[in-house]
Amino acid sequence: MSREIIEIVELEPIVGEDFIVIEGFPDVGLVGTIATSYLAEKLEMVEVGYVESDELPPIVSVRNGKILDLIRIYRKGNLMAFISEIPIPLTLIKPLSQKIIEWAISKKARMIVSLTGMPEPARLNIDIPKVYVLGSTKRVLEEALKVEGVEKFTDGYIAGIKGMIVKESFRRNFDALLVLSQAHFNYPDPGSAAQVLIYLSKLFSITLDVSPLLESAEELKLRLRDLMRRTAQAMQDVQKSRELELPAVYL
Amino acid sequence: MSSRRSLWKYILDEFRRIEQELRSMEEEFYIKLKGVEVMRGCITPLYNVYESGDELIITADMPGTSKEEIDITVGEDYVKIEAPCRSPVRKIGEGKYILHIRLPVEIDQENVKARYKEGVLEIIARKKMKGVKIKVE
Repeated sequence: MSREIIEIVELEPIVGEDFIVIEGFPDVGLVGTIATSYLAEKLEMVEVGYVESDELPPIVSVRNGKILDLIRIYRKGNLMAFISEIPIPLTLIKPLSQKIIEWAISKKARMIVSLTGMPEPARLNIDIPKVYVLGSTKRVLEEALKVEGVEKFTDGYIAGIKGMIVKESFRRNFDALLVLSQAHFNYPDPGSAAQVLIYLSKLFSITLDVSPLLESAEELKLRLRDLMRRTAQAMQDVQKSRELELPAVYL
Repeated sequence: MSSRRSLWKYILDEFRRIEQELRSMEEEFYIKLKGVEVMRGCITPLYNVYESGDELIITADMPGTSKEEIDITVGEDYVKIEAPCRSPVRKIGEGKYILHIRLPVEIDQENVKARYKEGVLEIIARKKMKGVKIKVE
């Protein structure tokens, strides 16, 4: 019997309804990683599962003596969050994006929300990064645009797992929302992550104070330096620099 | 048919071998980088060098320092940056940023400016332009 390349393992059966599945896999400015892990910590989300695959590097993460998987799932109420300590390997991007969507559909989730940075070469001149949204369906986009100040992402490329999730969801008519905030391309950007969190708190009516995140920005940037270095390497594999370009054709 | 399959297998194996070699080189780079950082108590910041028109832009991510403490030395074809780094992060502790960059083009040392904002240092230098003007016919 052939084994699936990737599996989502639930520590206990995850039951509920109206789930919102948030993913913050590492990429531009580690915006998704910072935002998702901050959200999980502040909402006191609990580990409920992990991603298993032979394609993942043979590494375990150890925190306070506890052995952890590299890609974990956290939950609080109807909010679920995928957090990864490594950039997603190129060979796993398509199977993982499909697996997450299939899993979200099987859980009757309301939507998947991908958090990411939008590379902005002039980021140093921007005090408050702008937030953009891209929806896989008209209904999710309409809901996302109800928040004041957010703009619609209209032209450009989305490389890597975020792009695959939104494309596959579009094909399946499943609601997926990509939230992008202007960010440094390959420097950790907690300021950009804070804007994503402010947007999410308004969209889902979550009470969340981002000032501790901004206060500890310098510490976070240092802590995430090595992950950023490895993520920058992985971003080359998926031609992430394409996000700085405009599509080449009219149609 | 079978020779086509074996050729395909050979190509795939070659791709895997090259990928593996690249991964090994990447890993070797990380090991050396971290080794030097630990031995010398220094930190190599993440950095970028861009060329934009007649300017050369260098940025470096250097959280945990202040603009008064950043020491920048500029040569015609290099930039040297040193600064203390005060970090509450375990394993990093008190360290020092050291970055030497060999520049892709020569710069005018008299035309260099720097700023430090939200942990990112930016240096903008004017490229040294040599040559003669040519008229378009």
